[in-house]
Amino acid sequence: MATDAIFTLSPTEVEALMLSIKVAVYCTLAICIPGVAVAWLLAKKSFIGKSFLDSLVHLPLVLPPVVPGFLLLLLLGSQGFIGKWLQHTFGISIAFTWVGAVIASAVMAFPLMVRSARLAISQVDRGLETAAQSLGAHPFKVFATVTLPLSMPGIITGLILAFSRSLGEFGATITFVGNIQGETRTLPLAIYTYTQIPGGDLAAMRLVVLSMLIALGALMMSDILERKATQRIGRGLKVEHD
Amino acid sequence: MIDIDLQRTHKNSLGDFSLDIKCMIEAPVVGLFGPSGAGKSTFLAMIAGLVKPDAGHLYLDDDCLFDSKRGIDMPIHQRRIGMVFQDSRLFPHLNVENNLKYGFKLLPEKSKRLGFKKIVTLLEIGHLLAQKPHQLSGGEKQRVALGRALLISPRMLLLDEPLASLDVRLKQQILPFLKRVKDDLNIPMVYVSHAIDEVLTLTSQVAIMEQGALLAYGKFSEIIHHERVLALAQTLGLENVLYAKILTQELGEAYLTALIGSQQLYIPFTPPSPHSILGNITVSIAASNIALSLNKVSGVTIQNQLACTVTAVEPVGNRVLVTVILEASTNHLIAEVTARSVQDLHIGIGSKLYCLIKTQSIYPLDRTLD
Repeated sequence: MATDAIFTLSPTEVEALMLSIKVAVYCTLAICIPGVAVAWLLAKKSFIGKSFLDSLVHLPLVLPPVVPGFLLLLLLGSQGFIGKWLQHTFGISIAFTWVGAVIASAVMAFPLMVRSARLAISQVDRGLETAAQSLGAHPFKVFATVTLPLSMPGIITGLILAFSRSLGEFGATITFVGNIQGETRTLPLAIYTYTQIPGGDLAAMRLVVLSMLIALGALMMSDILERKATQRIGRGLKVEHD
Repeated sequence: MIDIDLQRTHKNSLGDFSLDIKCMIEAPVVGLFGPSGAGKSTFLAMIAGLVKPDAGHLYLDDDCLFDSKRGIDMPIHQRRIGMVFQDSRLFPHLNVENNLKYGFKLLPEKSKRLGFKKIVTLLEIGHLLAQKPHQLSGGEKQRVALGRALLISPRMLLLDEPLASLDVRLKQQILPFLKRVKDDLNIPMVYVSHAIDEVLTLTSQVAIMEQGALLAYGKFSEIIHHERVLALAQTLGLENVLYAKILTQELGEAYLTALIGSQQLYIPFTPPSPHSILGNITVSIAASNIALSLNKVSGVTIQNQLACTVTAVEPVGNRVLVTVILEASTNHLIAEVTARSVQDLHIGIGSKLYCLIKTQSIYPLDRTLD
């Protein structure tokens, strides 16, 4: 075997990588708006059931990932409550598809997104929002022109955390959508698969290094974007201390 | 004209706090005073629509902003009431131009009474337009905040201690702009402040609040003699304010002579125009700048030595506030002295003394206002 083959990804490995990125991108896009909306609700509003919503959102953080995965299967699986209805009405099946993998990682990544965005939104000076209102801005306008831009660094951090979490999702995914090559076998699932077959260690190691590089890249990107966004909102030199 | 009749009760850490204010404001500018916790900010917040009153009404000319009986509560963003806060509250992510235009852009074309250029010129902020708020000095920030509020062509302007975070020198730089706004734009203003000199530069109409109610409202020279107002004078930061009749003003001299009762007072003054001025003048003197003496003192540079009689002696901490009434007048003065000197000089109610005031510590307020 040529030495460069050690560093060359096989077609199935490339497939796992591309699938992982696809799932992570869709997952991030999917939770972007609901994540900010829930973060805003938790940061700015008081309502009955707020602490229940707060706990519910955070549940995936503390549960073993297999639990949300199993619950998703019960709900959305082909025999599940909603899954059956989707199948009958639209002919759509989510279980054991990449879309299901997106849903599984969205559920797992959602609390990270909400935590980060909520902190950022709650730190926006209430006085600035009041000033905007007094200048004639409707509350929605205030959110779009003052609250959102000023909490952007935290929202970006939340999105990148969610993206990274999605790349690393394993337990909920394998429980809900299984481990189907080319459909639901993302990087972590591929690594797991290689560790289960004799002689798969080298391939597993390649994917481990790859996973680390992607995660590291995402975290560094988060730092750069956050810095830029912070500068844009005019805090300038304070970035280092934030 | 602003017709105010608002009531509100809310719970705070000290228990129930009730606010009940009724007044008709006709003056273009009203100075609002009161000790901290009197409810000044809540009062402004109710006018602006930030806080909902329990009952009452608020009319601005013929427009109803709030009326509990008619079930009207106009939302803040429709009220068009300009606000300027102590902390300018400029949007940090927008440059000065976009801060100024924030409300301006949202305003329907037909409501725009004040043009962008006009305000920028009036406040002299044209050179700052491209800058971000964190690049501005405190005084520049407040001018931009004022401009931003003016650009919504407000029906009324609420200023909540806009100069409180600025030092004396910067205050003196901003006050002329506020005066310009008042003189040129004709927008009713409520001005909350702790400094009487600041307010008297703009208006002689003041309202004094205490514990959620309006204690007095009217011309400062008239309400200052109100018993409760005098009692509050020190906590309000109302320094001694004296009304004197101008006697002579020598051309080229840096001071003028005025009469209080039958006594003469030298006041530092630079006339705005070369012709001499006559009439009345209002001056402020800090209590800590007044010394008391048992006798008239000779061989001293202090020229203002006014005969007086002690009417009250009130210890405050390790200092003593001595209230005196000037001979042959109704003017009261408060002098801040040490407890020890009160003891040594045997100062008590009825003591005949002299107030020694250095000419330079007398601050002339706007002469034309009284």
